[in-house]
Amino acid sequence: MTTKQESQDWVYSAKVKEHFLNPRNFLMGDESKFTHDTEGIVGNPICGDQMKMFLKIKDDKITDIKWKTYGCASAIASTSALSQLAKGKTLDEALKITAKDIDDYLGNLPKHKFHCSVLGHEALEAAIKNYRDQKDH
Amino acid sequence: MIYLDYAATSPILPEAKKAMLDVLDNFPGNASALHTPGHRAHEIIETARADIARLIGAQPHEIIFTSGGSESNNTVTNIFAGQSVAVSAIEHASVLESARARCNCIEIPVNKYGEIKDSFFESIKRNSYENSAASEPCNDRCERASSRKNLSLISIMLANNELGTIQDIKHLAKLAHQYGALFHTDATQALGKIPINVKDLDVDYTTISAHKIGGPVGIGALYVKDGTPFTPLIIGGHQEHGKRAGTYATANIAGFGAAAKYAYKHNTPKLYAEKIAPLRDELASRILKEIPFSNINGSLSKRFSSRTLAPPAVAGALRFARARKRECPLEKHLDNLPNILNVSFEAAEGESIQLYLDAKADIAISTGSACAAGDGKPSHVIMATTNDAEVAHSSIRFSLGLDTTKQDIDEVMKILPDIINNLQQISTIKMKGAK
Repeated sequence: MTTKQESQDWVYSAKVKEHFLNPRNFLMGDESKFTHDTEGIVGNPICGDQMKMFLKIKDDKITDIKWKTYGCASAIASTSALSQLAKGKTLDEALKITAKDIDDYLGNLPKHKFHCSVLGHEALEAAIKNYRDQKDH
Repeated sequence: MIYLDYAATSPILPEAKKAMLDVLDNFPGNASALHTPGHRAHEIIETARADIARLIGAQPHEIIFTSGGSESNNTVTNIFAGQSVAVSAIEHASVLESARARCNCIEIPVNKYGEIKDSFFESIKRNSYENSAASEPCNDRCERASSRKNLSLISIMLANNELGTIQDIKHLAKLAHQYGALFHTDATQALGKIPINVKDLDVDYTTISAHKIGGPVGIGALYVKDGTPFTPLIIGGHQEHGKRAGTYATANIAGFGAAAKYAYKHNTPKLYAEKIAPLRDELASRILKEIPFSNINGSLSKRFSSRTLAPPAVAGALRFARARKRECPLEKHLDNLPNILNVSFEAAEGESIQLYLDAKADIAISTGSACAAGDGKPSHVIMATTNDAEVAHSSIRFSLGLDTTKQDIDEVMKILPDIINNLQQISTIKMKGAK
């Protein structure tokens, strides 16, 4: 069993492949294993992609982040990339992460895959909104 | 590389390659010309035509060369432009979409195995003879049932490309003829995998393609029964007795002929039944046994017990025992192709499975999932059989060839359980029956 060496032969960029094969910050199995302050979900398995972000927040800063994804390779890679981009950022900074930032970080997703990265960003937004709503009440 | 995507396209046979190189090296002229090089090309083409006709039990003059299965299918729907036609909901897009674009198209529903039920024909009878009002709901793409009046054509594929489900075409063609419609079958996937005799099936049109049987891409054929209505799709030349204009693709035709000759000479349907079906069944049994929350799609699932919500180890053992009881490679009634296995894994998305197999183990399989196709829609075939988008997004297809070995199956099973487990563990979807 060998892994392909020539990443240019692969359907997506080397960075996408790398994040797909070695995703960062994913949450394996039972969600309750990761104590978190807020979560946000976006997408629908019916459409083929769904992402869920779990955040640990201290002093308005994302101290830890985990995610789950049902979706294609670029959905997994873009959620992984987003988790890297958001970790350690304040909530306001994290909200400024755009779909384009994720796309740039991964070295460009194919156009028809772009909605995947937008989706991850929305899950993060939803999690932060939930957190702020909780605090307001 | 372990290639398990033969239903998408198959490697060229050495015999087909040689036939093509002979043509390219010896420059035959334009087959329509009267000079010697032209005549030589003509001979090559007619030999190939005879070999292809023999493989499906047709007369050579009933075979028209086309650029492939899609053109053959488009040619048929074009004959019936503006008329009422019925096509199965699991046809290849080249039938389904071209029929929708050109004809008053009714879609024939299938059951969960992908099979057409006789009840459809009963409803045609009701509507065409009694001219009763529409009684069934229709989607936006299809006409109301009343348009079944004067149905001109029914098109149902011999074997489905995604599921491998085989239809009882002889029976369906007979029913179609009883109701006054002509019958077309797309036999692209079935060719070389199961015996086909167009006279025995009594069909009017049959689509076949070279590259699914080890011939080149870019050449196919359409069987048109003697005396059946025909309108050319491509006009502007006398080739194929005016039925398909365009200079003959002599090298491609030679390659197709050689592949057809190989299939006939080696009786490939028998080889598939004896050698490949058991490997496919082993892969199916092992997946059900070793991978929790896996399900077989299509007619093959009949042979394996339905999944229970019992603990995987127990359910797997039961399933395996049942599967072994039915270890009979040559069944009396063939209901699925010997080389196709469509399977879905709860909570694991198809394209990710495909790309992990590709990147980690150099194993090539296929998926009908939305992301892979890039059109945002799940496979219309799995949707027609299950009406469950999650199943459609979570399904993959293995398609085996005559070169597939037990080692290939073992290699898949070395890595697939881990890939599925990882995807299920990081999935937002909870498996049904999971705690």
